[in-house]
Amino acid sequence: MGWNPRVLAGRLLGAALLDGATTGCLTIATATRAADAGLLPWDGEAGPAFALDDLAGQRRHLDEFHGKVVLVHFFATWCARCVDEMTSLQKLTVKTRGRTLVVVAIDVAEVELRVRAFFEALPVDFPVLLDRDRAVTKAWDVVSLPTTFVLEAELRSRLVTATDLDWPAPATVARLEALYPPPPPQDRTGKTRGSHGED
Amino acid sequence: MDRRDFFVSIAAATLAATLPVTAWAQAIFAPKPGPWRAVDLVTRIEITKPQGPMQAWIPLPSLNEPEWNRPGESTWTSNAATVTRVKDPRYGAEMLHAVWKDGEAAPSLEVTSRIAMRDRAIDLSKPGTAPALGDAESRLNLAGTDLIPVDGIVKQTADKIVANARTDADKARAIYNWVVENTHRNDATRGCRTGDIDSMLRTDNISGKCADLNALYVGLARAAGIPERDVYGLRVLPSQFGYKSLGAGSANVTKAQHCRAEVHLAGFGWAPVDPADVRKVVLEEPPANLAIGDPKVVAARNALFGAWEGNWVAYNVAHDVALPGSKQPKLGFLMYPQAERASLLLDALDPDNFKYTITSKDVAA
Repeated sequence: MGWNPRVLAGRLLGAALLDGATTGCLTIATATRAADAGLLPWDGEAGPAFALDDLAGQRRHLDEFHGKVVLVHFFATWCARCVDEMTSLQKLTVKTRGRTLVVVAIDVAEVELRVRAFFEALPVDFPVLLDRDRAVTKAWDVVSLPTTFVLEAELRSRLVTATDLDWPAPATVARLEALYPPPPPQDRTGKTRGSHGED
Repeated sequence: MDRRDFFVSIAAATLAATLPVTAWAQAIFAPKPGPWRAVDLVTRIEITKPQGPMQAWIPLPSLNEPEWNRPGESTWTSNAATVTRVKDPRYGAEMLHAVWKDGEAAPSLEVTSRIAMRDRAIDLSKPGTAPALGDAESRLNLAGTDLIPVDGIVKQTADKIVANARTDADKARAIYNWVVENTHRNDATRGCRTGDIDSMLRTDNISGKCADLNALYVGLARAAGIPERDVYGLRVLPSQFGYKSLGAGSANVTKAQHCRAEVHLAGFGWAPVDPADVRKVVLEEPPANLAIGDPKVVAARNALFGAWEGNWVAYNVAHDVALPGSKQPKLGFLMYPQAERASLLLDALDPDNFKYTITSKDVAA
């Protein structure tokens, strides 16, 4: 399926309604399963590649995350749901440290000093980029915050959500782990082929 | 909102709009052109923690409308290296641009603007002889902006709203009623949030403050082919009709920014409109959270299509404003003082840390 903003928006809104309709009266068992309920499969193309400044002023390109599962997360500091979710994403980052997963947070059109102050109070271990003129937000057809795209290692979009999620929840992590690229092939000695071993 | 709700809303709005004013009993909100009022508006900025290149831009009242908004002289004092009065080339919005030398210990700028204003009211049952808009001005006030696109869902929504309206005035009123009926003011929104109206409609989260709600009104009307414009300004005096929510609460008007709207109608010229203030009355007018049928709300609603009170200063009608000398993206609108420290834009919605104050002093007109 190609990148169709109208289809995406409809699916996201439908998911949000479903999420709101089902999470209020669940048993504990189903609630566990529902942690990832807003995370929808998405087999469309990811939005176009971007290059944005991070909070340190460094230019960051989407391509540099090739080979990892990438959570492209659009947010704003004035959005209460986004604030809660930032903590959740940081917990995910800690939980998956050493794995091939990276969160890339993109702030939508806020004053840079406001964003800096926010992350001084709530430090995170992942890059925070600045979409100062909303160009990337528009290009990715994001209409509500937070919205997160999960890209597989080849930077193709596989999952998407337009609601805040419990990211470190086991069900959610399992969905992300399913996207991890296969480990590099090993030779018969158990060493990774192409590594800089002694032999 | 589904299709049925959409038309129920339209029907209810139309009914409300056609009921006689006398049905609404005690509340009175009836601006009419009368005596002029005048204020000295003093905007003072201080750049805290000065560092690196520093500059500031202060909007000046620059919309000269002889019948209701007359900017007077602006004077200033500053320790800036240069202070220049500059004008946005597209909309004519004026601002004072100050640039300090690096290392300035206490950058400050104080601007005093004298301005006179009075109530407006247009009898939309009696067309006058106002000239039509020129082609260029018509195009400007029908075009989309960064935050106010006029295609896609905006156009689709506008077409539904005006489907049964005949004249431009009917269409503008239908859109006004739709915005009043289908939006709510979200007081948790800090300042006047920059509202992308496409996003508001696509998510069905039609809320916000004046820069959201009146932007939606302007966008829907433009999409329906009616010239409209946002007018960005500041409440500077209390309401003479006793509406606490529609006036300045004190001489400190630092956070009293408010934008209104205007519709251009053949024979009438620019007419005042303010659906966002109807929603503000609903939310804030004591005892607060009023019903849409509350007499205070109805009185405001009946008046604010075709009239508004002259207790507010108009700065400009500009969109997508580039700050001269800045590398920042264009602003959606220029309603707040702006400044940069070390080439980074300060938070205009956080005046206490920026920092800036705006005070209003009632003077003889």
